Amino acid sequence: MRYFSRRIGFFLLTLWAVVTLNFLIPRLQPGDPAELMVQNLAGKNAQLNRAQVEAMRDLLGAPSGSLLDQYWSYLGQLAHGNLGISYTYYPYTVAQVIGKAFWWTLVLVGTVQILSFAIGVLLGAFAAWRRNSRFDTAVTSISTFVGTLQPFWIALLLIYGLGYGLGWFPTAGGYDESTPGFNGAFIYDAVSHAFLPALTLMIVTPIGWVLGMRNTMIMNLGEDYIKLARAKGLPDRTIALRYAARNALLPSVTGFALALGGVLGGTILVETVFDYPGLGRLMGEAVGIKDYPLLQGLMLLTAVATLVANLIADLLYGVLDPRARKATA
Amino acid sequence: MTTRSFRSRAGRGAVAVTAAALLLLAPACAGSRVADQKQQTKSSSGASGLIPELNLPSEADTSMGGLVNYNPFAPQQTVRTWLFESLMQQNSLNCKVTPWLATGYDWESPSKLVFTIRQGVKWSDGSAFTAKDVAFTFNLAKKYPAIDAAGVWNDTFGAKARSVTADGDKVIFDFTGPAVSKFSYIIAQKIVSQKEFGSVGDPAKYVSKQPISTGPFKVASNNGRRVVLERRPDYWQADKIKVQKLVLEGNYDANQAAAKLKAGELDFYTGEIPNPQKTFVSADPRTNHVWYAANGVTVLAPNLTRKPFDDVKFRQALAYGMDKQSATDKATYGLMKVASQTGLPLPEKQDMVPAKYAGQNTVIPFDPAKANKLLDAAGYTKSADGKRHNPDGSPIKITFSVQAGWIDYEAMADELTSDFRKLGLDIKENKMPPEAVDQQKKTGNFQMMINYMGAGCDYAHGMGATVASSEIPTRTTIKGNVEHYTNPAVDKAIAALGSTTDPQQTKQQVGVLVDAMMTDYPVLPILYAPARAIYRTDHAVGWRPRMTRTPIRRTSRSCGSPT
Repeated sequence: MRYFSRRIGFFLLTLWAVVTLNFLIPRLQPGDPAELMVQNLAGKNAQLNRAQVEAMRDLLGAPSGSLLDQYWSYLGQLAHGNLGISYTYYPYTVAQVIGKAFWWTLVLVGTVQILSFAIGVLLGAFAAWRRNSRFDTAVTSISTFVGTLQPFWIALLLIYGLGYGLGWFPTAGGYDESTPGFNGAFIYDAVSHAFLPALTLMIVTPIGWVLGMRNTMIMNLGEDYIKLARAKGLPDRTIALRYAARNALLPSVTGFALALGGVLGGTILVETVFDYPGLGRLMGEAVGIKDYPLLQGLMLLTAVATLVANLIADLLYGVLDPRARKATA
Repeated sequence: MTTRSFRSRAGRGAVAVTAAALLLLAPACAGSRVADQKQQTKSSSGASGLIPELNLPSEADTSMGGLVNYNPFAPQQTVRTWLFESLMQQNSLNCKVTPWLATGYDWESPSKLVFTIRQGVKWSDGSAFTAKDVAFTFNLAKKYPAIDAAGVWNDTFGAKARSVTADGDKVIFDFTGPAVSKFSYIIAQKIVSQKEFGSVGDPAKYVSKQPISTGPFKVASNNGRRVVLERRPDYWQADKIKVQKLVLEGNYDANQAAAKLKAGELDFYTGEIPNPQKTFVSADPRTNHVWYAANGVTVLAPNLTRKPFDDVKFRQALAYGMDKQSATDKATYGLMKVASQTGLPLPEKQDMVPAKYAGQNTVIPFDPAKANKLLDAAGYTKSADGKRHNPDGSPIKITFSVQAGWIDYEAMADELTSDFRKLGLDIKENKMPPEAVDQQKKTGNFQMMINYMGAGCDYAHGMGATVASSEIPTRTTIKGNVEHYTNPAVDKAIAALGSTTDPQQTKQQVGVLVDAMMTDYPVLPILYAPARAIYRTDHAVGWRPRMTRTPIRRTSRSCGSPT
């Protein structure tokens, strides 16, 4: 039990640190948000219109009171689930903006992560089982090579090749002419738009799993219990899947939980390149436009998602592997 | 990469109005020509003579599906150009004013402005637009300062207003003092209806989903991604609107926009695409075009409170030591021209150049020999190591603050740095985020940087912003005079500009500012900053091709006012 309470205590402490940093960092940035907003709207080759800046200051509302007062009211707001009002989408709230982008990323990156995990782990396990075979060499060398490529570069290649060159898939946006909702036209539209970003991610995401799984499994295959299983004359399939792969999966499960937490961080560059309406693009834009409330909301969401995923992984690990519980108890 | 694409995307501003007018009027005027009409019948537009559809990028800098807001007071508007209209349109290049919702204006005195409001204009819901709506819009800004972007009710651009009232077809602005400078901002204010905004409370917080507007288009559909605008047959100048449908879709970075333009999925773009001649126009010069016009001046701003920049002779030498042509070619791929030391974008504002400079070439030539001679003569001689030092013997070390990621600024800075090194100056670049450069403008803690100098149509706050002593930035506010120039004669001229409505008087006072630029070198103009459009003409039958070849002023004469 002590293992679990320690994990939860650690979680709460980290959460507090994240919230506090999230409060402080935007306040340490140079630049007046109102001036930045007006400049962004006008473009860099334009004089700052001071009447507009004054109006914008009035609109955004300057923070009042001491830093400590601001901190308390920020915590109070958060406790009520209030993330503030976005600068860019004013008067829409941060929660409304994030709510729009959330599902796009969850479906796209979530699906990709689950598929990548399954494919990656299977390929890795098979490569380890048949290590030094032609299959193993091919999988490992291709993975290592593709792993050095930048996802957004792959994205650009796909856009020009499959998008503009062959014209098979749309190159930008999440959907086009259909009306969002649960109807066939929209689902078809959304899936065809998601195809290229998903393909880009599917090329790069499984690699970590392939290599990780292969290495752990090779290590496990050298363990005594495998030898024992062989000595007992168990069939290869059982040894590979029920003994070696099952044990090798443990670190990957932790990694997978973390990766799922990272889903909400999105994939800034890939979403930006495809103009995909998800959290990644939103975060990229919030950074570019210095929309601090939105940025804070996104950072908080990402951090909390990662922390919760981490906590779940920790707790799950404790259940799956009795050694972890005993080691810290 | 991310930041850069947003920077380039944000290249609208002054361009937006230009773009709007271009789209509206260019087909209209060219369409009257026989050759074009022949072409029109060939196209799919059929007998109506209308262009069926044009594709433009989304007008919101960012658009998250479904978060619609047509409110013209919101920072991000789903549609910026085509719905709400202002009293008059001012060509940002030559400052010509075109009557719009107002048919005319009159400064009865420098503190009293009267507009005559157009009759027969209908709101998109069919109700009549009146002078009362205009007075309502400006009085709304009195109650809610957060929407007073024209600064009518504060003293930003001259005396604040006492009242704005409607009387018949007139709207009367009564100011507490001279407020001539406010004109450019007042005529640009988008006018809203009392019917829509009368009962919504704080207009800044209001989300407008069913806008009531006077503009040429109305929203036909918006699925959160693709906004389809449809021509209004009951628009007050509907005969000039030759486009049936506008489709606004997507926030593209330069790469995507270039590809979409080439593929014919986009007809018009105002963002910054590197070397558009090569990446876009050369693919099909018959339909693909770029239009770049001088909209302002990009200048080198030295900090005049620091040695050696406090010495006018040193600044003069720098002016001759800059290879502006090479900087311009590198920064704009030869699309823009090197800038005149007058601070005025020429030839667009040639009318404002004082008679004594009229015959001269006011672009300072690149002459390193002369620059070296000037430096030697002023006592900035070279030490044994080949580096120049101050007349008092102290070494010169210059740090050039550069906005990282603004590719054209970086190209200029690289060129100038190498030019100045050749003069024997010890100079290095410090590339930093643009916000950090902005911070240096506020603190005044820098040696030189690249800055934008607007000419504007309100010269007191356009050109004046770069040289007025009241425009020196403060710790909390960025203003235009980043170089900290002070000159009582210039301040006097700017005050006079703010209280005169006489064009002759205006020209004379602008002449004082030009004189200061020519003799004091407070900032060193490098090149003209562009207003730009990158477009293809195959879907827009009747579009006047190759705008770049004809000077702007000539096109405007033959064609009403295309810019």
